[in-house]
Amino acid sequence: MSVSADRLPQPTPSEIKRRKPGLVGWVVNRLGMDDTMEDQYNRVVPFHATNYMYCFGGIALVLFLILAATGIMLAVYYQPTPDDAYQSVLNISTHVQFGWWIRSIHRWAAGGMVLLVFAHMLRVFFTGAYKAPRELNWLTGVVLLVVTMGFGFTGYLLPWDQKAYWATKVGTDIAGSVPFIGHFLLVSLRGGQQISAATLGRFFDLHVLVLPAVILIFLLGHFFMIRRHGISGRL
Amino acid sequence: MMTRSGFLKWLIGIFGAVSVAGIVYPVLRFLKPPAALSGAIGQVANVGPLSGFAPGKLTAVAVHDQPAAVQNLGGKYVVYSLICTHLGCVVEIAGDAFHCPCHGSGFSPTGTVTHGPAKLPLPTYHAQTQNGSLLVGTIDLSRAAYPGWYKGEFA
Repeated sequence: MSVSADRLPQPTPSEIKRRKPGLVGWVVNRLGMDDTMEDQYNRVVPFHATNYMYCFGGIALVLFLILAATGIMLAVYYQPTPDDAYQSVLNISTHVQFGWWIRSIHRWAAGGMVLLVFAHMLRVFFTGAYKAPRELNWLTGVVLLVVTMGFGFTGYLLPWDQKAYWATKVGTDIAGSVPFIGHFLLVSLRGGQQISAATLGRFFDLHVLVLPAVILIFLLGHFFMIRRHGISGRL
Repeated sequence: MMTRSGFLKWLIGIFGAVSVAGIVYPVLRFLKPPAALSGAIGQVANVGPLSGFAPGKLTAVAVHDQPAAVQNLGGKYVVYSLICTHLGCVVEIAGDAFHCPCHGSGFSPTGTVTHGPAKLPLPTYHAQTQNGSLLVGTIDLSRAAYPGWYKGEFA
């Protein structure tokens, strides 16, 4: 079945015979994408790419999904105001059933994701998988690395304890040392000269709204290009 | 007669169901708000007139249907939860202190542990006097971090 200019053509009897059964089939039959999907299902992983080092990116994705799920759950109880933030985090760990578990998973998965994204980058670098025609995918990967770091940096402030406060003070001071635009970066991140309620609000906004939107867009681009290019050749 | 492949399919199905339940159950429990947190502003119990609490004594009362004790420290009122921090039994008032009949935990007049196996002090409620009555709110979370299974916190 091929797609005409503005609408799907009526199926011929032989095409109706090829129709897929089941729930997935119900959708696929209505989108006329059987051939596209068939092509996707029939990809073979090349033997050299069955090495565990080729799994880093995939594991990073799994960790991202875990972080999204547990993060959505933590946001149920977390309150991003200076008066309540620390107590709400404490409540999650001590009063909410399985709260300590969800929070621990979020924390460990966060550290793991940074590690695996970095390992994935090293693998791509040392196997030369960034070379033509895959440069654009490397560039989206650079953005994804920065966004992952951004998640870590903004998430670190949210418990609003001493460690969070001073880490953010140091981190935003570093942003402030950039030539020419440093001061602008610093006050933009802090929402003022000092770390305050505005800082917590901005970091929370970045952590749960801005960065997730950015990472989703770039992940889709990243994965689309993997499928488009296929896995790079062996060394 | 069950075939081997049929049996294995059942086995995979059971393992799969257990795995899914192992995720769904904690998530549902997580979403259920603990009473200590949902106790919201305004949900206040009136435990009676102040004349009912003799100075220097502990008086048993019910706060939101949970056992508690009011301590009158010369006009200053402290409300203790009587749910043992060990395994959730109801703690008995023993003179001016507390004793748990289940495993022998003892608590001082200020709620601190004097005898194991309990490790955490008895929690107190937020309380204030108004028009000669004692009003009791939610558990004072700032006093100590209590474990999530602590019964008194979950309605």
